[in-house]
Amino acid sequence: MSDPTTAMVDSRPRGLAGDAWNDLRRSKIFWTSSVLVFLILLMAFFPTLFTSADPTDCALSRQHDGPSGGALFGYDFQGCDVLARTVHGAGNSIQVGLVSTLLAGLIGLCFGMAAGYFGGAVDAVLSRGIDIVLGIPFLLGAVVFSGRLSGAGDDGVTAVTLTLGLLTWTSAARVMRSSVVAAKNQDYVAAARMLGASPARLMFRHILPNAIAPFIVVMALLLGANIAAEATLSYLRVGLKGEAISWGLQIADAQKHARAAAAPLVWPSVFLAATVLAFIMLGDAIRDAFDPKLR
Amino acid sequence: MLGKRPWKMAAVAAAISLLVAGCGSGDSEDPTATANTVVIGINEPQHLLPTNATDSSSAQVLNSLFYPLVSFDAEKKPVEVAAEKISASKNNRLWTIKLKPGYTFHNGEPVTAQNYIDAWNYGAYKPNAQGGGYFFERIAGYADLNPLDPDGAGPEKAPEPATNKMSGLKKIDDLTFTVTLSAPFASFKSVIAYSVFYPLPKAAFSSDGVIAKGFEDKLIGNGPFKMKGSWEHDDKIVVEKYSDFKGVVPKIDGVTWKIYGDQMAAYADLVSNNLDVQTAIPTDALANAPADLGERFLKSENSVFEFIGFPTFLPQYKNANVRKAISMAINREEIASQIFLGSRTAAKAFVSPVVSGFRENSCGDACNYNPTKARDLYRENGGPDEIKITYNVDGGHKSWVDATCNQIRASLQVKCIGEQEPKFAVMQDKLQNKQDIGLIRLGWIMDYPLMENYLNPLYGTNGGSNYYGWSSTAFDTLVKQGSEASSPEASIKKWQAAEDILADEMPVIPLRYGQNVFGYSERVANVEMDLFSKVNLYEIETVV
Amino acid sequence: MFRYIVRRLLQMILTFFGATFVVFALMFANQDDPIQALAGEKPVSDSLREALTERYHLDEGLLGQYWYYMTNLLTGDLGESISGRDISALLESSWPVTVQLSFMALVLAAGLALAAGVWSAIRRGGIFDNGVLAFTLLLLALPIVVLAPVAQWIFGMELGWFPATASRNASFYALLLPAIVLATTVVATQLRVTRTSVVENLRADYVRTARAKGLAPRRIIWVHVLRNSLIPFITLIGVDLGVLMSGALVTEEVFNIPGVGSKLAQGIRTEDGPMVVGFVSVLVIVFLVMNLVVDLLYAALDPRIRYE
Repeated sequence: MSDPTTAMVDSRPRGLAGDAWNDLRRSKIFWTSSVLVFLILLMAFFPTLFTSADPTDCALSRQHDGPSGGALFGYDFQGCDVLARTVHGAGNSIQVGLVSTLLAGLIGLCFGMAAGYFGGAVDAVLSRGIDIVLGIPFLLGAVVFSGRLSGAGDDGVTAVTLTLGLLTWTSAARVMRSSVVAAKNQDYVAAARMLGASPARLMFRHILPNAIAPFIVVMALLLGANIAAEATLSYLRVGLKGEAISWGLQIADAQKHARAAAAPLVWPSVFLAATVLAFIMLGDAIRDAFDPKLR
Repeated sequence: MLGKRPWKMAAVAAAISLLVAGCGSGDSEDPTATANTVVIGINEPQHLLPTNATDSSSAQVLNSLFYPLVSFDAEKKPVEVAAEKISASKNNRLWTIKLKPGYTFHNGEPVTAQNYIDAWNYGAYKPNAQGGGYFFERIAGYADLNPLDPDGAGPEKAPEPATNKMSGLKKIDDLTFTVTLSAPFASFKSVIAYSVFYPLPKAAFSSDGVIAKGFEDKLIGNGPFKMKGSWEHDDKIVVEKYSDFKGVVPKIDGVTWKIYGDQMAAYADLVSNNLDVQTAIPTDALANAPADLGERFLKSENSVFEFIGFPTFLPQYKNANVRKAISMAINREEIASQIFLGSRTAAKAFVSPVVSGFRENSCGDACNYNPTKARDLYRENGGPDEIKITYNVDGGHKSWVDATCNQIRASLQVKCIGEQEPKFAVMQDKLQNKQDIGLIRLGWIMDYPLMENYLNPLYGTNGGSNYYGWSSTAFDTLVKQGSEASSPEASIKKWQAAEDILADEMPVIPLRYGQNVFGYSERVANVEMDLFSKVNLYEIETVV
Repeated sequence: MFRYIVRRLLQMILTFFGATFVVFALMFANQDDPIQALAGEKPVSDSLREALTERYHLDEGLLGQYWYYMTNLLTGDLGESISGRDISALLESSWPVTVQLSFMALVLAAGLALAAGVWSAIRRGGIFDNGVLAFTLLLLALPIVVLAPVAQWIFGMELGWFPATASRNASFYALLLPAIVLATTVVATQLRVTRTSVVENLRADYVRTARAKGLAPRRIIWVHVLRNSLIPFITLIGVDLGVLMSGALVTEEVFNIPGVGSKLAQGIRTEDGPMVVGFVSVLVIVFLVMNLVVDLLYAALDPRIRYE
């Protein structure tokens, strides 16, 4: 983490973003997590750089065999190469995780900001809307959305992404609303308002930077939770379909045979944990850099 | 010191909340502690009224509460149990059932012929919407109780049935009644072993043809055990010995039917000795079962038959040789041993081995794994480049469909995908609308142990489970001739001839026969399971 | 304040009907063939199908079915599930154990999240902080579908520390393992949010003032900072209680607890509209009350927030 004193000494005039970049550049955590995220994205888009084995080449005769020349992580229950499947599964998992989290974040941010800032009738309508969505059981939402959003022959990636996005934005929205409610009553907001700042300027320049920290944390965790939630969806039998490969599917399948062979369960979990770690660290670093209280 | 207080308060608050949350429960009663009783795991039965109970869990419970008219001996021949004698007229249309005297229901009422007639009429009457109602179809007069909606889904409502009594049931005296069938059927005696044919006491009805409210929760039967308390939904059903029972007396004093939502949980209880018998150990636990249970892990045959069907409206599978080639591309033994860990066996016939008349490998070469021959045959006959196997994802079929596809891909060198549908009903819908859903996975559990109970519903032109639309007049005729033959032996001859047509035509690929895969605790011994996946309650005993 | 509460209570009624309608509509959208769903793969005879369709008004449209349901509900009759069970009896037998389970999980999670969150915020970057991060990662990477069976196997079957399964009348002790497993679903987020918010507040002016006044560091943290950091945490609790109640599905299945989660799942799978809506109605009321309490707590924690 950067030391607040250096930032204070450095007195060249800069915008918020300039300050942030200056901080980030010197943050070890930022660079480590960026490299990790880059590697993960590389794996998602170009899996063949990391393995040459075919993830669909499976034979029961190799069931649960240990690591061998080509297959570093051994073979799973169906006799497929665990390494190949984990690497090729990254694409779907990252897509599901990233896109659904972005979707949830966008909805949550809009709902939360609007409800918290405007209060009154707007807040009442939006908040009760959130309550209604919260009342929808996860399984029901998942069954309906992924059932109806995916057609025959589809691998279900879009449906699962939308399902998770549409069902997980509520906590982000409520957290955002609560920090906006707390921030808008601060003295500096009142001061800015008295100086004649427009609502948009108040919202985005003054309230948002002060209210976004818990939201970013929730987002970083939601990303991990959503990648893992895909495993839960598979367990509930509304996950990815057909020949799709993903960490969630691997985990849900391997969990049943965990007592017989742990490797097919452990490896995708390790990749999942590393991905979440990378995004949590990145989130922390960015949040610190943008935090005006550090100036 | 003040600074410590929030910590302490938080700790105290947490402790109090935990205690409050835990209060008012404290049920430490250990169901296994009672002396000569056993705890058997089931799922929540959908219904317990015999005519409405068609799932295996309710069949287990009813087996303890009721005494059937007939049951099956080691050769799967029906023998009289609660009936003294069951005889048929020469043409097998009029059946006379004479009951053993002296039997009573658990409330003391004597068991009479009228109890059977009332129960069966209730089950067949359409507005009662009984799940087992179709069992009475063969009895004359069933159609009068079940008038069908003339325009199907259209605006017109179905007419009210004119009567709620089947004309085919006639009481002769207190212990005798006759059943007239709408068509001759030589093996009717085997059919009435099923639980929908149990009698109901007068106390079950609040008025003529109306079941008293709450009867299902406090069932009164004629069997070796009676209900202790009432059905505790999602928790347990306790039954205890009925002292006035005149039949074969079980060795145990009672059974606690413990209800599980998920069989993995039941397995955890079995291994930690909280459950005495688990009747279906889930596949996911099978890898550990031999180590966890040792000799207390057993298998026995049951009637499950699993297969893949070819929808007849798909042109790419019109050629019987293509169907045979796909069948030969599948290594059934490998899947049975690697995916099902020996809990299923490879199927090479079109009926289950539990019925008399079954012949080993009646399917011939087409059911033997032979990848090279399969590929040649497939190429010669121009099989499609892509094969799709559709399954319902809620049935746990993913592993074996994936493995089957992997085998087909390796043997035939074509693309093969397992296509998921959320529910069985969605599959049925798509079949009805003739959508290209590829091959479909299907399974069957028999209602009574006759070849006919596989041939007719699965492959008959009007078969209730013939979802793929295969139809052969020659086959239908042979099955019908078999049903109306003069003796069970003559029936089997005809039915076997019908099965030979299946082997030629290959409308489905037989895959596996099911087995009861069960385990028991150290507290019990002599655990057996029958073809209907029921525990033999007359043999099981406790050991100290 | 009083008028605010009254207004919220009035909103609740509207929200309640809105939520039941939305759920009813979702169930309707998911309805393929409830009769076949109940029968499994056995063929359903035409006669049975016709009789059941009429009994449960399955041939009516969405509005027709909702109308039947609501008219019954307003006379206090929750109706009968498609499998023929009395829904009010089902609710009565399923809710207590789930409330107990989720409440235990919530207390466990909140206790751990607060203690560990504050501590790792104070020692930011230290061993404890990194250890806690590793722990949250572990929880996130192991979805509950893995954690629940593994915990049952290790602590219930192998070590025998806890009963392997619970039941409707389970003791506090028997519910402890499922509650711990359930707590893991929410503890990671609670913990990280607490940590962030405490870190933020440690830098606030009033902390500097308090320090300058010479207050004990402990008092500053546990009284001043914590109180100001609780808002996001409390918000999460309001959401989490509901998540726990409806999300108890996997835990309840694994540990054989016939609670709301497992019954809801069963209702959804058998396309049982009346049963699902019955459970969700209660769930929605729980949410509405929880979120009202949370909003009132905001004002109690931060005097600058006022409701009028």
